[in-house]
Parts: sequence; structure tokens; C-alpha cells
Amino acid sequence: MPDKTAAPRPRKQGFLLEMRRNWGYYIMVLPAALVLFAFAYVPLPGLIVAFQQFNVVDAFRSPWVGLRNFEFFFLSGAAWRTTRNTMWLNFQFLIWINVISLSLAIMLNELRSNLSKKFYQNVMFLPFFFSVVIVAQLVVRVVFPDGMGIANQLVTFFGGDQVAWSREPGPWRWIIVFSGVWMAAGHQSIIYLAAISGIDNELFEASAIDGASRLKQIWHITLPMLLPTIIILTLLAIGGMLRGNFGLVWNLVYGIDRPQLGVYTDIIDTFVFRNIMTTINFSVAAAVGLYQSFVGFVLVFGSNWLVKRYEKDYALF
Amino acid sequence: MKKLTKSEISGQVIMHIIFILATIIFLYPIILTFMSSIADETSLMRYGMRLIPAQFSLDAYRTVFSDNTILNAYLVTVLVTAIGTFLSVLICSMAGFALSIPTLKYRNKIALFFYIPMVFSAGLLPWFLASTQLYGLSNRPWALVLPMLVSPFNVFLARNYFRSIPPSLVEAAQIDGCSPMKTLISIIFPLSLPILATLGLFIGLSYWNDWSMALWFIRTPSLYPVQYMLFRIDAMMDHIRIHGAIGNMQLPTQTFRLATLFVTLGPIVLLYPFVQRYFVKGIMIGAVKG
Repeated sequence: MPDKTAAPRPRKQGFLLEMRRNWGYYIMVLPAALVLFAFAYVPLPGLIVAFQQFNVVDAFRSPWVGLRNFEFFFLSGAAWRTTRNTMWLNFQFLIWINVISLSLAIMLNELRSNLSKKFYQNVMFLPFFFSVVIVAQLVVRVVFPDGMGIANQLVTFFGGDQVAWSREPGPWRWIIVFSGVWMAAGHQSIIYLAAISGIDNELFEASAIDGASRLKQIWHITLPMLLPTIIILTLLAIGGMLRGNFGLVWNLVYGIDRPQLGVYTDIIDTFVFRNIMTTINFSVAAAVGLYQSFVGFVLVFGSNWLVKRYEKDYALF
Repeated sequence: MKKLTKSEISGQVIMHIIFILATIIFLYPIILTFMSSIADETSLMRYGMRLIPAQFSLDAYRTVFSDNTILNAYLVTVLVTAIGTFLSVLICSMAGFALSIPTLKYRNKIALFFYIPMVFSAGLLPWFLASTQLYGLSNRPWALVLPMLVSPFNVFLARNYFRSIPPSLVEAAQIDGCSPMKTLISIIFPLSLPILATLGLFIGLSYWNDWSMALWFIRTPSLYPVQYMLFRIDAMMDHIRIHGAIGNMQLPTQTFRLATLFVTLGPIVLLYPFVQRYFVKGIMIGAVKG
């Protein structure tokens, strides 16, 4: 985010002069810059592993194989499968989190009683403070265990047979979506609620004098006024479309003892993780990571370009 | 407040019904976790999870606390969170402050350096190789702190806030002979409590809730933070089975898991009423981009 405000230029523009004048500031940047350099820049040359057949003995001098690792990823079908799963999950999150948190925010805003408004809002914000591990444990041990958890109590209450959830991979992608929405809806609705309270009250008063009902006001004032926020949140989400929610997926369906559930939810990030930690296939992991970063880069730039065209202030950079 | 019409009253009623359902969806799993964790193992197996257990028992909690695995994990988490949050807020706001100085000649170049990692990363493998092979972070406590220390987003958040402070204050301090660091601490920080609190709360929460650094780097159980210990809950159970003070007796498996779960989420639920409003304010400051 370079800023364009022109600074008064000193007469002499030498590097040494600048350092002598402002060394105190440059020292202050140094710790953060060093850490970032160590964890975001130093690893970059490691990407050559993507073009090698990595083995531990030769390390970075492993034999070159050109694009074979990419070929493997794309021809084996893994690329298509993981990309589709990642985008499917992210689209579901995008749609459901926004639809639900938007409805919740609008309804909270319409509530007459301030006390219950506060109470409901606080209840729904609570999961934001839980780690994915806690949420996943709640889901796996309390809501969807094979025995009489909440899900099976509901199923049997409506006359169905108890389901052995740990042996049914099918429902788990929806369970992932539900858990993600459960975690994020309250947080997102606070953002929307803030945007709603920023709407000029005169608009509502004027339309009330003209006889508009609350529902009409929501449709013709609240929603159009929220459109910028909705569009920006959506574009930012599209920028991150290829970055999966590794923590949630890994905790819910892979974890330590339940890899059998991952058939429909193998996302790019879980694929990379398994190639690093389980099958120790570093070259494939590097290749897939590079693919993810490159496409992600294009998406972030593209969505940011759109945000910028739409409303300059909201652009990420 | 004007009188409500009939249709408005029914609208209010419908909304309350929806919100009460939502409240149940949000709170019931947590309450059920607690109620089942204080249930007797055999009654839990026989009747399933119930809001009022058929038979109460604190065996699960006795087992959980029968050795200091969980206390140790909490100690790790508290230390990592305290050290990580302090360092992270300090160095991010230092960098943000320097970048907010309009007369700093290379500030745009440095900002570019900070923002490139936001849009392009080498991916997990090179990061993992560098962290383990170059920096030797495997199984080191610092592995839980260092990789998460600097987020460019936080640097920019701090910078944007500091920019709203009149530059004449900084100039005046400098004329009086204040060093940049002293200016930051004694003049800027007191004026920036909202942003410092926001950074501290959100960074603190991410350290507290992090499990992935342990997943990548930590192999020794004594270095497990709480979240990762919960992730390895079955391994922890085996550990207690072998080392715990309970001896060789049959362990309450189901209730043990639920008790451990409640021990990790309980403190958050208890603390929540006191901290949530500050987080709400923080979301406003971070606005959409948070």
C-alpha cells in the first residue's frame, strides 16, 4: 500500500544522508522487516524443489525433472479434484455466511428490545473466540458422534435410524459448511450491523412519512445501502478462493483417526499437507503450492482491481 | 417510542422465535458438552447425551487432572500468548509508526516490501523447509511464536491509525530531542490505545487459538499448547492411562473427551462477557478488511 502523498524532498537525496537523518526510524522497521524476510522471502528460492525430484540426501541439488511434478498433479486428476473441492467449499462459505449474517444483522437492527438485541448478538458472536479445534471437537463429539449425539437424537426423533456418521463421507462436506457458518456468522453480522447503523436515519424517516412499511424500507433502503459492503466482502472472498480453510477441514474430516471421511473434501491445502507430512513428497507439495500461490495471486489482483474500480477506498492495496 | 401496529408486533414475535432458535443452535452444544462431561460414563453410554444426565459423576474431571498434562498445556499457551502478543504488537507498531512518517524517504519501498507477501507466498513447503532446516525450529518453543510474529496487515493497520495523529506532534517531539523510539512510546502510544488494544486482542486471540504451529513443528508432548493437545486428545488419553496417578483402572473414555473439551472452552466462555465488547470495537476499527 504505497501512499502517494508527496513528501518535501531534502536538497541532497543521497542514501547516506537519509540514513544519517532518519536512522532511528529505519532501525524501528528492522525487527518486523527481518522476521518477514525470514519467513516470507528466504523461503522463495526453495520453490526450485518444484522442478526437482527432491530427496533428502541431495536436498537442493536433487536431479532436475522439469515440469514432471506439475504433470503428475494435473494428469492424476488431483489438481481438478482438489481445486474443485476448495472452490466448492469456499463458494458455500461465501454464500451462506453472507446470506445468514446479512439476515441476522437486518433482523437484529429491527428488534425493538435493545436488551434482547444485545443478548442475541453476543450469543452468536461467541464461536468467533473458539479455535477450529474446539469447534471441530464440538461437532465431532457432541453433534455428530456415532452414538446419541445431537444429530442422531434429531434423526431418531423424526423417526429415522441412527446414523454412523464416522462411516459416511457424504454428509461431511455439508457439515464443514455448517461448522464454518456457525463460526463466522456472528462476526460477519457485526460488520453488517455496523454498516446498517451508518445509514442516514433521515432516509428511513422520510420513507416512513411516505408510508413505506418496514419490509419495504429494508428492500429499498437498507439492502441498496449495504450493497457496497456486500460487494467488497464478496470480492475479497473471491481473491482468497483457492486458499482453503485447512484448520476446519483437517480437524473435522482428517484429524488423526478419521482420514476415511475426506473423499469429497480433499482441498489443496490438505493435499499439500499430506504430501509434506505423511507421504514426504516434497517436490509435489512445492509444485502444488506454487500452483496455488500463482492462481491465488491472479485472483487477488483481479478482485482487488475490481474493488478499486468499484470503490477506491476499500482496495486492499 | 410509537405504538406498534399489529403486523409489526407479529414481525417482532417471528424474529424473536428465529433468534431463540439461533440461540439454541449456538449454545446447546456447549451446554450439552458440560452436562455430559459430568455424567457417569456408563449412563452416558446407555442413554446418550442428555441435558440432565441420568447419573452424575466427576470421574472424567478427576482423570483429566490426574496428571499435569493439561495444566502444562495451559502454561505453554499462556506463555506463548503473552510473549507472542507483546512482541508482535511492539514490532508491528514500531514498523507502522516509521512507515507513517511522511518525511521518511524510503517508506514506500519498505511498504512494498511488506505488502508483496500479502499477495504472493512461496507456499507451505518452502516455508516449512526454511523454518526447520535453516532456523532449526523443529520441536523448539520459539516455533510457536516466531512464524506468527509479523503480519503485514497489522503493520498497515497500525500505520493507518498513526497517520491520523497530527504530524506536528512528532515534529515537536523531535525538535525537543526525542528519539523516534521515545516519541513512539511516550507520545504516540498514549494517543493510540484503541489501535494497540485492537492489535493486542486480535493477535492474542490468534496465539491462544493456534494449533497449526504445533502441528508443523512440535513433537514433544510437554511443548503442546492447549489447542494442539485437544487435537491429540486420544494420544493424551493414552499418556494418562500409562502415567496418570489413577493407576490401571478403566478410564472413562467418552466423558474424558468431553471433560477435556470443556476444560479448553470453559475459560473462553467465562471470559467472553468481559472482553467481547472490546473485540466488537476492534472489528469496527479493522472495518471490512479485518
